[in-house]
Amino acid sequence: MSFDPTTIAAFVDGELDDLTARRIERAAETDAALAAEITRHRALTARLAEHYAPICDEPIPDRLRSLLGDVTGVDTSLADRRETRRARFSTPHWFAIAASLVLGLTIGLRPWIPAADVQTDNGALIAAGSLAKALETQLASNQPSDAAVRIGVSFEDKAGRYCRSFESARLDGIGCRDGERWRLERTLMGQRNGDYRQATSGELAAAAAAMMRRDALDARGERAARNAGWVRRP
Amino acid sequence: MRFEQELVELLPRLRRFARGLSSDASDADDLCQAAIERALNSRDQWQDGTRLDSWMYRITRNLWIDERRAAGRRGSHTPIDDAVTQVAGDGAAEVEAGALRGDVDAAMARLPGEQREVVLLVLVEGYAYREAADILDVPIGTVTSRLARGRESLMTYLGEAA
Repeated sequence: MSFDPTTIAAFVDGELDDLTARRIERAAETDAALAAEITRHRALTARLAEHYAPICDEPIPDRLRSLLGDVTGVDTSLADRRETRRARFSTPHWFAIAASLVLGLTIGLRPWIPAADVQTDNGALIAAGSLAKALETQLASNQPSDAAVRIGVSFEDKAGRYCRSFESARLDGIGCRDGERWRLERTLMGQRNGDYRQATSGELAAAAAAMMRRDALDARGERAARNAGWVRRP
Repeated sequence: MRFEQELVELLPRLRRFARGLSSDASDADDLCQAAIERALNSRDQWQDGTRLDSWMYRITRNLWIDERRAAGRRGSHTPIDDAVTQVAGDGAAEVEAGALRGDVDAAMARLPGEQREVVLLVLVEGYAYREAADILDVPIGTVTSRLARGRESLMTYLGEAA
């Protein structure tokens, strides 16, 4: 193993520059000890995240809410906020979604999908290459504006998997973490920089909202999930 | 009103952080309550447009430190003293590991406070090293070294099942 423990930890925490991170990824493919060390770190992060996550779902004690006065009347229930979000997506994007349905009709053929970025496994579409790498490592909060694959929203779906919407030049969609892979649950012809960008964005946003179990991850949640290797608690 | 609303939205995460620091749920909510009261009393020190979450985590953490120091002066002691953990060293830690296997709360309680807070900010709350360093008001190198020690101890305490 040619990397010191601090560098390996920084890699797992998403703190390394892209160049060094890629070197470690490549090295881990052939260095079993390094791969095991990365797995050990990710397991700890996942274990801690899993242990502490339920606290965020507990009701806030009245003695804390009451300190904050009238705003405690603001309904922060997940169900209501989700409903609000759906309404927000559906109304203004009505025409966009209708337009995207036309695109969606051709999904069965998927002739536009770049072969290097997608593999099939028993009928399922699996992200590969740069798409898999973006889904695995890229944060929406700090991605370059010219990133080849642009990550949209990250969320937990009703099956408890982490899912992420993405856009690229030739393929847009939603990938969900399935074991060690990203399974593509929605795919649309990529229209980045094209006239139909609004249509695909609206469609993806609506599809994502319909799949969500709870609110989309914020920047911190996204980073924590990425650092934990996109492993969900059981 | 925006200030209070943002605080309400922060509360679940702040409670999680406080629970990680103090372990005991009731003590953690006492800590949150004190942090909210201090934030409301000194809200003019918070600059609109800066990050409220970092500011609140800093307040919570500083109150926790104050409370621990005060408890030390009163002569009350926590079940496992930080100094003991450090003096006992790795051999003792490994002996303890069997007893702690699978118990995250007990493993976290064994960490010195300075490691526990870094572990919570980076591994649980998902802050970047730089952000954690800002919250704790320490150099980034201090964050990485404390994190490394905290990680290794937790892996030992929790065993391979971690």
